[in-house]
Amino acid sequence: MRRVAITGLGLVTPIGSGWKRFWDGLLAGTSGIAPVTSFDTSAFPVHLGAEVKGFDPAPHLRRRPPESMGRGAQLAVAAAWMALEDSGAELDRYPRRRVGVSMGTTSGEPLFIERYNDIRKANGLDAVPGDMLPKYPCHTIPANIAIEMDLRGPCLMIPTACAAGNYAIGNAFDLLRSGQADLMLAGGADAFSRITYTGFSQLGAIAPERCQPFDKNRRGMVPGEGAAVLVLEPLDAAQARGATVYAEVLGYGLSCDSHHMTAAHPEGDGAVRAMAMAMTESGVGPEAIDYISAHGTGTPTNDRVESIAVKALFQERAARVPISSIKSMLGHTMGAASAIEAAACALAIHTGMIPPTINYQEPDPDCDLDCVPNQARETHPRVVLNNAYAFGGNNASLCLSATERA
Amino acid sequence: MAPGRIVVSGAGVISSIGAGVEDFERALFQGTSGIRTDGSNGAQVTAADVAGFTPQQWLGNKGIRVLDRSARLLCVATHLALEGQGPARPAEGDDGLGMICGTMFGGLHSIVSFDWSGLTDGPSYVNPMEFPNTVINSPAGQAAIKFKLRGINSTVCAGLASGLYAIHYGAEALRLKRARVLLAGGVEELCEESLLGFRKTEVVSTVGRVRPFSRESDGTVPGEGSALLVLETAETAAARGVTPWARVVGFGCSHDARAISAYDPSAEGATAAMELALESAGVTPEEVGGVIAAAGGNRAGDAMEARALSKVFGQRLARLPVTAPKAALGEAMGASGALAALVGVLALKRGMAPPTAGCEGADYGLSLSRQPVPLEGDFVLVNAVSCDGNNASLVLGPADGGGR
Repeated sequence: MRRVAITGLGLVTPIGSGWKRFWDGLLAGTSGIAPVTSFDTSAFPVHLGAEVKGFDPAPHLRRRPPESMGRGAQLAVAAAWMALEDSGAELDRYPRRRVGVSMGTTSGEPLFIERYNDIRKANGLDAVPGDMLPKYPCHTIPANIAIEMDLRGPCLMIPTACAAGNYAIGNAFDLLRSGQADLMLAGGADAFSRITYTGFSQLGAIAPERCQPFDKNRRGMVPGEGAAVLVLEPLDAAQARGATVYAEVLGYGLSCDSHHMTAAHPEGDGAVRAMAMAMTESGVGPEAIDYISAHGTGTPTNDRVESIAVKALFQERAARVPISSIKSMLGHTMGAASAIEAAACALAIHTGMIPPTINYQEPDPDCDLDCVPNQARETHPRVVLNNAYAFGGNNASLCLSATERA
Repeated sequence: MAPGRIVVSGAGVISSIGAGVEDFERALFQGTSGIRTDGSNGAQVTAADVAGFTPQQWLGNKGIRVLDRSARLLCVATHLALEGQGPARPAEGDDGLGMICGTMFGGLHSIVSFDWSGLTDGPSYVNPMEFPNTVINSPAGQAAIKFKLRGINSTVCAGLASGLYAIHYGAEALRLKRARVLLAGGVEELCEESLLGFRKTEVVSTVGRVRPFSRESDGTVPGEGSALLVLETAETAAARGVTPWARVVGFGCSHDARAISAYDPSAEGATAAMELALESAGVTPEEVGGVIAAAGGNRAGDAMEARALSKVFGQRLARLPVTAPKAALGEAMGASGALAALVGVLALKRGMAPPTAGCEGADYGLSLSRQPVPLEGDFVLVNAVSCDGNNASLVLGPADGGGR
């Protein structure tokens, strides 16, 4: 099977758009978390969010007007164009049926559900406009990318909630290495939504003051939004056209806790199996892993269980493998999160730097790992793991590496 | 496609024409339609719904309250698929047993109700226990918990092609050894919101009938249900001692890249999907013995599919048995592809193309039959076309495969 390379990165995040601004922000420890502005949070006990502020979709759309799609698709299409430009791949050189889209999301286009209910409350169901409804289903996110770019290959959404980005990138990897596509745009997107906010708020999961993963006093996650799209292609094709290869996708692992819809398995059973499967498929052992991008939401349970899982696999080496959570800066961008984190992993390999976990003050004996506290670090990682866990007990770990690993 | 023979060794189904493969197969070959008109809620609603759905019959009462309609439909299909395995049923907690679920909306009513509760009662009065049902992968997650499916668990959305995409995703995962046995298919619920959507987008037939491939057709009928195929490699099936029903031989897909709610009259994408599926299967159009069509009464969609079929099969199309299961099952959205694939499997099992309920003849130079018709070759082509531009086709073949 063919080796698969990541050759383009497009990001729209709470700390900025485009991978350079994103990466500079992460390495500087910039936080994108602030009081929510897109809706009134006065009826909520918490007020923080990680929104993409001032995003204007119009300059990013070439074929269709912004109102033809939801915010999730707008963020995704913007990220897709950035990724394609960054990759230097010229679409006209590819048979369009060999270029596909694989995206992940938690909620798709939830703002249309909100608008539906707002209209229903104010004016009744008869007032709901029919032309709004076809824009709602989550598969319209990859479909809008395909339409914008005229891509005729496989086109699907994998809505496996907060691990969806890894699933989507993994699927693109499979399509490429088995020869079903020549170029894939893969990633994740989610729009900031009061539905998500209400849910996490009612679960008591939202941090009141800051997101501080792995800290003893961590009090929760912060809902966010964003999109990341990665360009993936066969490594030999990337090298032949002289593309910048940020990283190689070695493999991935998926599992299901089959334990609880929202709570992680107490021993991290599924998380362990996903990481183990990712490493097995990649042909590497725990001793080869130089960095882990944590799921690291900042909730008391997630970070404790993820630490248990990492220790179960990495044993005595666990405390020496750097593991950071960029959710400390970006909040939890839902289905986009693991795609954004996969981009960060690729950039860690490409630049030699690993991003920090910010807001880290007091060590937690339950999370006795090296979470790269507060300062970025130059470690030149060669092989990295990207962890993502989701509602439904879904776990996905993606393994990336430098192309030369000797 | 990666090498490896993927077989279908069972199925579970709940639909407007029956629950369980036996009942479904009987109704299918009798040409029974699941479309009915219900006036019990005041308004007259015509749909192919799962009438009088009582999931307790299969699932018992325990733990059922937290499941929404999508999850209940999927769990019943899961129960029936696993039960049908008899003594070969994979053990609970098997790490290699997983699920790939195609859907378009997930638990749509749960999502809308959750937001409505926050909007009308205030966010602090919303029941957090209902939050998990708002994620689109909730049905698959709930089924995983209920049936201890610890292997890979993915949900796949590709519009009306979701079910076929899910089956392909499952077949690939098995070839790549990500799983040992997978339940792959789809689920979709009908709820007040989806019915409103059908009505507002003006895709519903005013006469309450699905007339596939008819120039007189004026729309479709909403449907719902869940179908899951039991997929595994031929080796796993042999080791478990189960006799496969059919084989997943090829898949092709292509997006039209034109609009999120229109069909491409040129039919280029739909044609490409069929051609790619046949090519990946190593099967010629002449070897296809029957087609399970996507046609569901949407005139533009049906015309597009007919045109693509004509490009692929040429003169032979007039004699080729074509079944359009949506005449009986309605448009079950994310479940449609899975239901169609199951119809394809059952066609191979009997060597007969099932009838198209209530339809005789058709336009566009192809013919539907009210009676079962013998297949004209070893393979069956299953189509899905979606108004967002997604086209997918699956090639199914006999389980023994004759060396292919």
